[in-house]
Amino acid sequence: MTGIRILLARLRGLFGKTDSDARLDDEIALHLELETQQRIAAGLSPAEARRQARIAFGAIEAMKEEHRDGRGILWIEDLIADIRHALRALRGAPVLGGAAIITLAVGIGANTAIYSAVSAVILRPLPFADPGRLVMLTEENPDRGWHLNVAAPANYLDWKEQVAAFQDVAAFIPNEGTATLTGPGNPRSVDGISVTGNFFRVLGVPAELGRTFSDQETWDGGPTVAVISDRLWRAQFGATPAIVGRTIHLDGGDIQVAGVMPATFAYPSSSVDMWTPTAWKTSDRSQVFFRRAHFIRPIARLKPGVTLQQANAQLQVVVDRLQHQYPLTNTHMGAEMVPLHDFIIGNTRQPLEILLAAAGLLLLIACANVGNLMLIQAAGRGRETALRLALGAGRGRLVRQGLAENLLLSVIGGSAGLALGWWGTHTLMALEPAGMLPVDNIGVNWHVVTYVIAITLASGLVFGIVPILWTSRRAPGDALKEGGRGAGVGHRMRRWGRFIVVAEVALALLLSIGAGLLVRSFERLERVDPGFDPDGVVAITMNIPGNRYDTTTKVSGFYHDVLGQVGALPDVRSAAVTTTLPLAGGVGWTSDFTAAGRGADGYGTEVAHRTVSPEYFRTMRVPILRGRGFTAADTPDGAQVVVINDALARSYFRGENPIGQRIAFDRVPDSASVWRTVVGVVGDERQSALATVPQIEVITPELQAPSTYMNLMVRTGHDPKAVVGAIRRVVARIDPSIAFTSVQTMNEVRDQSLAHARFLMLLLFSFAGAGLLLGAVGVYGVMAHAARARTREMGIRIALGAQRPAVRWLVLREGLALTAIGVALGIGAALVVCRAMTALLYQTGSTDPVTLVVVPMVLAITALLATWLPATRAARADPVVSLRGE
Amino acid sequence: MAASSSDVVRGTLDLLVLRTLTFEPMHGWGISQRIQQLSHGVLDVNQGSLYPALQRLEQKGWIDSDWRVSDNNRRARYYRLTATGRRALHQETVSWRRYVATIDLILGEV
Repeated sequence: MTGIRILLARLRGLFGKTDSDARLDDEIALHLELETQQRIAAGLSPAEARRQARIAFGAIEAMKEEHRDGRGILWIEDLIADIRHALRALRGAPVLGGAAIITLAVGIGANTAIYSAVSAVILRPLPFADPGRLVMLTEENPDRGWHLNVAAPANYLDWKEQVAAFQDVAAFIPNEGTATLTGPGNPRSVDGISVTGNFFRVLGVPAELGRTFSDQETWDGGPTVAVISDRLWRAQFGATPAIVGRTIHLDGGDIQVAGVMPATFAYPSSSVDMWTPTAWKTSDRSQVFFRRAHFIRPIARLKPGVTLQQANAQLQVVVDRLQHQYPLTNTHMGAEMVPLHDFIIGNTRQPLEILLAAAGLLLLIACANVGNLMLIQAAGRGRETALRLALGAGRGRLVRQGLAENLLLSVIGGSAGLALGWWGTHTLMALEPAGMLPVDNIGVNWHVVTYVIAITLASGLVFGIVPILWTSRRAPGDALKEGGRGAGVGHRMRRWGRFIVVAEVALALLLSIGAGLLVRSFERLERVDPGFDPDGVVAITMNIPGNRYDTTTKVSGFYHDVLGQVGALPDVRSAAVTTTLPLAGGVGWTSDFTAAGRGADGYGTEVAHRTVSPEYFRTMRVPILRGRGFTAADTPDGAQVVVINDALARSYFRGENPIGQRIAFDRVPDSASVWRTVVGVVGDERQSALATVPQIEVITPELQAPSTYMNLMVRTGHDPKAVVGAIRRVVARIDPSIAFTSVQTMNEVRDQSLAHARFLMLLLFSFAGAGLLLGAVGVYGVMAHAARARTREMGIRIALGAQRPAVRWLVLREGLALTAIGVALGIGAALVVCRAMTALLYQTGSTDPVTLVVVPMVLAITALLATWLPATRAARADPVVSLRGE
Repeated sequence: MAASSSDVVRGTLDLLVLRTLTFEPMHGWGISQRIQQLSHGVLDVNQGSLYPALQRLEQKGWIDSDWRVSDNNRRARYYRLTATGRRALHQETVSWRRYVATIDLILGEV
């Protein structure tokens, strides 16, 4: 109650100041008058009485001040005054202030954008129930170089049943590809994923509408059902609640919609629109392939209170047992568990951390710049400060005022930075190559804003307070004595300026070396020969419904028709189909293999499989090194043949002629093994990515191993995109229900394969560019100020006969010395810090000599330029002006 | 200034002002005079601190003020004790007495 009354009274005081002042004056006047009268009555002369009355009263002005303080809300009043003062100062030096604000905005903007991404990817918890208890189970096999590999379903089932620490284990089948939804409207290609019946329950996400699956639906027997995404429900079915139980047509078959997932659920990928139960055949469970084929991703939910270590210990016991129980398939087959969140973040963490560190460096440089500007300002105001101190201003008040100035800059810079960051975040999202960040909804949220406010305040305080403390701590006498024209900067300030130059050079260099390494790496990556000629080739991915194309004859017939008619189109040179689209991230499936006549240990592992039509090698211009490619004569009835890539020929058939050798896709061949004869060796293609060395590969002719999921590759004479329309018409004529999943030129595919590396490089490169620029501005600022402070000295030197070049050298020397120290520190730091980037670099060491020479040179030249201007100006000092100053 | 006079102990000025105002509403100068009188000239109110003290007390709601015409026909600001102020005075007096007694107790052993 009392508190509020005081506050109200004080608020009144804050605004009604003049009125209250006048009243207080009245009160004092009366007081003095009465006091005087009393003294006159005591016999003093009126003048003496008045004098004594005043003495008795004490310091009237100080009292008034105290009274006023008591009236207003002191700190608010002071703050307003401080801000006014700061605004005045800012207006007085608009260039300096503007530079500080822009500098801060850039630094804070970069941090806002990157931190938004970090917050969305790394800090935001998964949108599942109690996500901390979810772990991804992976297979590990040193023999095959497997790490975080997909698992075999039989192993998954054993883990699920035998590890007591797991409350339940679900699984999904990744990369299942697409299905075609037909019905009203155009056929729509839908990304679908098979999941075990308990999938949604293990993740703890219920359906928005209808139901999810039951445990029984992991196995077949029930009706064919699907759970669809909120997106598909709205886009294709007008968000009707009557969707539950409705039958839709997928790949020509009937499927019943069991439920709709909420819009927030997008697992395992944001493109998934349909989840179907695995519906494995119960009889498969005992089949060897169920333990041999690795294609599922199991997710376990730990029992409450069970630690990762405990669960892992139990898992390893089961893994051990399985190794002994199933030596044929499980020898050396290990397993690992990774917290689901970590697994999802995966490879994204490192680039993000590096970008965050880079943004941090940029902010540090920005802060150093602002600190430098504050220093210059403080130095320029040394006399003002000294005078105010001498006149009795409190040091605290001066420090507060300096801080207010800093904070004003920080707040303006921070707001601009936040706006810039908000824009940057959106740009980041727009430019981010698909699939780089495992989340879609990156935004500036309260979390980010808090972070930005924190770094803004910190940046204002850390670099702003030092010069302020120094100026306010100096004895006023010294500063005033030092005064006169061109007052020198204090010794400490000089040191601080030097420190800033060294720090800025080192930080900018560290940032630039990091960016330089990525540029070098990208350069090498871009020059990698993919093993085929992408120019003029368009790749069309399509999926043909397996239930209508249910025999190999039908599948081959479809492709035969398509290839025949597409090949006859004008401007089409050749056309082919392949199961693996090169550089698109995957190699299809892999297996063990062995050649006839090898011993028990003569097998090989991890050979990639691919199926292509005869024209493939000609279409992609993949050279046939030995033997032959495929022909139309390689039919199912003919001899089973394969073509192998050079990597396989050289690694497995070392020194032998592979042509004519027979191979089987088993580790230990038996009577059921199918033997295929090697008829040719082709050049290596980079299968999954440019950065990935060619994997050993076996290629089978399309007629002998037809697949419903193929990529149509068409080589054209001119613009590959121009023929797409004609191809679409051809396919529609053959089967109108076929949807194209994607249409890209091979150059686009290649670009996409580089997209992540390019994006990271460009981002870091622009940070480094900004850092270099800010650093140069900072160095210029310090050197210009230092040179200006020495103008008198220079003038005297020149008057005494010093040559101007020598004077220039005097300034240059200091700048170069500081730059050299900064460069040395920067290189030293880079040698240590950039080691963290090794995993992101392609055939480029973190100590890449070219980078470590070129980048520091660029930086040194920049610093030299930044010093040259002030040095030249100092050399032009007019001795007359300087001496008159004495 | 009398050699025997001493400044009001810090923190007790409020108490003295409140006590003075129990007699009648008074203006600032009157209060300082009355304190001097009541203390037989021993206490000298530092006038510079009187007005801020009055302001403080008014903000607390312990005293009230209004402008009146004084005995010699001058406009003057008269301060008056409020009911809250009266209660506060009582409490402050009690605690002051306790304080003094405690200090006495300690000093008495010397």
